[in-house]
Amino acid sequence: MPSTTKRETLIGKRVPKLDAPKKVTGEAEYINDIELPGMLHGKILRSQRVHARIVSIDTAAAKALPGVRAVLTAGDTPGVPLGHGRDNPPLKGDKVRCIRDEIAAVAADSEQIAEQALRLIKVEYEDLPAVFSPADALNESAPVIHEKHANNIPFTYDYSHGDVAQGEKESDIIIEDAFRLHFVTHCCMGVSGVVARFDSEGNLTVYSQTQVPFLYKREIAPVIDVPAEKIRVIQPIIGGAFGSKLDIYPFEPICILLARATRRPVRLLFSREEEFVASPTRQPVELTMRSGVKKDGTLTFRDCKTLHDNGGYTSWGAATPFVMIQTISSLYRVPHCRYHTKVVYTNNPYSGSFRGFGNLQATFAVESHMDKLAEAVGMDPLAFRLHNSQHPGETTPQGMVFHTCGLTDCLKTAAKRSRFLEKHRTNSQNQKSSAGQRPYLKRGIGMASLLHVGGGAKIYRSDGCGTILKIDDHAHVTVITGSTDIGQGSETVIAQLVAEELGFPISAVTVINNDTEVTPWDVGVHASRTTFIAGNSAQRAARKAGRQILQAAAEKFAVDAEALELRDRHVARKDTAEALIEVGKLIRSLHFSKQHDIVMATEFYEPPSVMQDKEFKGNVSASYAFGTQVVELEVDVDTGVIRIVKVTAAHDVGRVINALGIEGQIEGGVVMGIGYGISEELIIEKGLVKNPCFRDYKVITAPDIPEIDMHFIETMDPEGPAGAKGVGEAPAVCTSPAIANALYNATGVRFYGLPLTPEKVLSVLSGRTGDRK
Amino acid sequence: MMSVEEKISFTLNGDPVTVTIPVSMNTLSMIRDVLKLTGTKYGCGEGECGACTILVDGVAVNSCLMLAVKCAGREVTTIEGVQTDEGLSVLQEEFIRHGAVQCGFCTPGMIMQGTYLLNHNPELDIEGIKRGIEGNLCRCTGYKKIVDAIASALHRTKNTTKV
Amino acid sequence: MAEIEKYIAPQTLEEATRVLAEGNVTVLAGGTDLVPQTQSGIRQFQPVLMNICRIPELKGVAETNGEIRIGALTTIAEIVGSPLLKVKAAVLADAADCFAGGQVRNSATLGGNICNASPAADMAVPLLLLGAEAELAGWANGQVVYRTVPLCDLFVGPGETLIKPYEVLTFVRFPAPQKEVVGVFHKFGTRPALDIAVVSVGISGVRNNGCLSDVRVAFGAVAPTPVRGYKTEAALEGATLDDGLISTIGGVVERDISPISDVRASAWYRNEVLCRITQRLLHDVRGRKD
Repeated sequence: MPSTTKRETLIGKRVPKLDAPKKVTGEAEYINDIELPGMLHGKILRSQRVHARIVSIDTAAAKALPGVRAVLTAGDTPGVPLGHGRDNPPLKGDKVRCIRDEIAAVAADSEQIAEQALRLIKVEYEDLPAVFSPADALNESAPVIHEKHANNIPFTYDYSHGDVAQGEKESDIIIEDAFRLHFVTHCCMGVSGVVARFDSEGNLTVYSQTQVPFLYKREIAPVIDVPAEKIRVIQPIIGGAFGSKLDIYPFEPICILLARATRRPVRLLFSREEEFVASPTRQPVELTMRSGVKKDGTLTFRDCKTLHDNGGYTSWGAATPFVMIQTISSLYRVPHCRYHTKVVYTNNPYSGSFRGFGNLQATFAVESHMDKLAEAVGMDPLAFRLHNSQHPGETTPQGMVFHTCGLTDCLKTAAKRSRFLEKHRTNSQNQKSSAGQRPYLKRGIGMASLLHVGGGAKIYRSDGCGTILKIDDHAHVTVITGSTDIGQGSETVIAQLVAEELGFPISAVTVINNDTEVTPWDVGVHASRTTFIAGNSAQRAARKAGRQILQAAAEKFAVDAEALELRDRHVARKDTAEALIEVGKLIRSLHFSKQHDIVMATEFYEPPSVMQDKEFKGNVSASYAFGTQVVELEVDVDTGVIRIVKVTAAHDVGRVINALGIEGQIEGGVVMGIGYGISEELIIEKGLVKNPCFRDYKVITAPDIPEIDMHFIETMDPEGPAGAKGVGEAPAVCTSPAIANALYNATGVRFYGLPLTPEKVLSVLSGRTGDRK
Repeated sequence: MMSVEEKISFTLNGDPVTVTIPVSMNTLSMIRDVLKLTGTKYGCGEGECGACTILVDGVAVNSCLMLAVKCAGREVTTIEGVQTDEGLSVLQEEFIRHGAVQCGFCTPGMIMQGTYLLNHNPELDIEGIKRGIEGNLCRCTGYKKIVDAIASALHRTKNTTKV
Repeated sequence: MAEIEKYIAPQTLEEATRVLAEGNVTVLAGGTDLVPQTQSGIRQFQPVLMNICRIPELKGVAETNGEIRIGALTTIAEIVGSPLLKVKAAVLADAADCFAGGQVRNSATLGGNICNASPAADMAVPLLLLGAEAELAGWANGQVVYRTVPLCDLFVGPGETLIKPYEVLTFVRFPAPQKEVVGVFHKFGTRPALDIAVVSVGISGVRNNGCLSDVRVAFGAVAPTPVRGYKTEAALEGATLDDGLISTIGGVVERDISPISDVRASAWYRNEVLCRITQRLLHDVRGRKD
């Protein structure tokens, strides 16, 4: 047999996304494209008030409209609420608490008929006094939003390490500031939607864009009164998620209940306006931070309090303190730390999970203070951060174990590549200058780092992922993984790791990841965990299958299995590279011989992390990602317009598996971070969304993008697949504090809230409003 | 909503087609719901995101803003009409190769707009390409790889006629 | 949504005006305002929908005897790409280039933008600078009759013009500016693309020895309609464009406008930024080579 060629590794290569071909031709099927025979169209009637008793709902005229097949109200549901606050009934019967509230639902022959039916439903409300800020909701006289919590506080969080009082004594300088982080929304290009169908035996199939199909089954079961084992979740190609599909929102059980009531499949899709109003926002945070430092630049303490606007109901926004505590306690070395959050109901729209999950908000405060403290002790922003930077092998007081830690490298790389120090100095000197052709344009450069989980996050009792792998008679590999692709490229990374392990071309690998009837359990797509956990799971399953093949070949050729390896879809001798047998032929001989064996392997990978204890301590992730971004901007001090010129991003990613994919995450994350920093704001006034459209909600467009200079620091995580860590969220986390720090460098004015819109910037620079607004 | 209907004939992806549609129906709804071509996407319905971009007589427009009756007598091209018997277009290949596709929802609109740019203005530089897709929103990629893919396709197709 | 009972696509202006004379007609040109407005319910279709896109008299960009005529059906993209307009009416071509995104520019028409009469209408400010007039056609006494309305009189309120229900805008015309006329336009939004103007401003005039004469100034998005800035024009007319004048012009601009606060910007910001941009444009005009 001929010699096999030297195997070129797939790791680190630019591998196009496996499903890109069907996306560029329009063949990819999204939730909006699914059509089932006999399918009806569902629509939801939402509240016109933000806090009111529902006096009556008259659906008679709607039911009588030709083409309407069902009209449901709260009385038609099992009455079990959704969410980990167990406070969000799918249809509201007694009162409404925010503008999203679902009052009735219609299934009809067409979307137009369903919409017409909604207009025929008459609702009588009795207005209740409403509150629109946590501060107001905490007043003695504030209306009670949920009876279960008379003080409007469903959750509080408290954390401490060390002793803040001691830290204060050790400090030479203490600063305190209030920060205000705002409402933004995901703006996935594909709107929310779901399709539900019962078969004649009561088995339910839901086509859902959920990021957590297995948790979905368990959590929705009581809400719709269907046993979890009779629920099958199939995910279509998902048109973006970014955390918006981490929770179950009322429209999903509503659609399922419509399907049951009509005994026909029902598809329910949002309009874009409905998407802006009704899909969850990023958690807005009012935060005060006190930070202390010694005059030699050593951090002493951070003391942080936040008010979280929980809106009318609880979703994942209420859990963002989990992540915020990580950053506030452990981004840079802080000996003493205290943190307190009150999560407070209001009549505003409620928040869910959004890429970064509280980390953007926390990092904004931490990194603004790092710059301010640096200036106070007379150190430059880089030296100050390096002085307090952690190193590999450290365990933070919160219990995070940094087996690898590229923070110092990230800081140095980003600063060097961007010529940070030199520009920072020059810009500072130019702040007041009126020289030059266009003295109203000021340049600024700013930096900020991030810490985020990179090896999953054990917030459930299992953070694992299952893989079933088979290699067929044609040497084609099918990897059946519980983990979903939401566009980030997880299926491609999985295929790469498997192909690498088996010495196969990537074209020989198919990934199946979207049907709970078939795929093994995975906790879900969140916490940037899929490369790490699903990757490890798939890689180990492939390793097992590979061993089966080598063992079979060893027996067949009477050699030691240790002397063999897989390359080029052949079994080959390690020492001479001589090919012994093509893998497909070996598998067929195994299958059709007296042995009657086929190649299959399974693996459930649980990362070596722990759930945090009641004090939020413990190594919650198997690995941690770090990064530093340096932003260069130009601000027009006459109009307040900021132009982001360049972002230099240095990220500790463990190892690059798919270069194309990881670049895409950085580029996309940075642009999202820029939007959060300078242009995006969901304007909520008196509980109403004032800008529910792309015309007035400013997502970054192509002409706005900066130059991005990316660097990957490969710290080779010992646990990560091929050494990789997760990075899906990280790139969005520290862009906005870097922008604010750059703006300070340009103007000498510090901003404590986002977004830095032209009006906000001009308002502060011109002195019309203080810098605390 | 039950407005009067009009029978219209036009060319769709090279083939003649005749449909009867309500006069108030927009082209996006006609393409997706009547003609059952789901590659063209609903992103906002208001001409603000470009997900619904199609070519009409070779010119890129938002199909959500165009009443279907205006297709009469025209040549309409949707994403399904971009690849030919010879395979994917150069632009489609470059999108795949450059990693310009993540969730892919904006991709059909981007490809239609990119196809228009390639045919209409082959001298575009990078800034020109960015401006050229200013009417197409993407939430996943940060646009860079999309711009690079269009630039590569421009380079490859210089001196040829249609792509 | 109201029901459309009849759809008609006339091929002559005569046919179109006869249909209009019978009343209850919604006119369809590009549809880029009509379609979202009817879909959201801000506007209702009339029983008759008339597609005017086939009428040849409404098309074309041409210069005849020192007058430039632009047909109402000319798309914004055609204005951007017109070699004639790029040379003879650059302010208009520049404004067209800032209009929405490429796909919308390919469909939206000049006539549609004028008739929609948004206070921020992108085409209105440059046309006001050019001293444009709108020609309207209607059916009366058995024939098509025309009248001309100067654009500065055409807009009467947000979304409202002097155009009668039985009239259609046929074309816009303005004298081809002489070579010495300099014109600048700036549309200010918070993003480079896809933006409704927060404010827009245009200035034109003849430059001579550091002064401007035959000054025209127009503002968008700072009043119920696009407006000429008559007080600003008076302050600039014949005056030397020096630092003193430019630094105080803001005080005059303020008296020509009445901006509102809305979800896009506050009145204060509109005022502030318009004054500053006007100053900047004057600096630009002053700095250009004679």
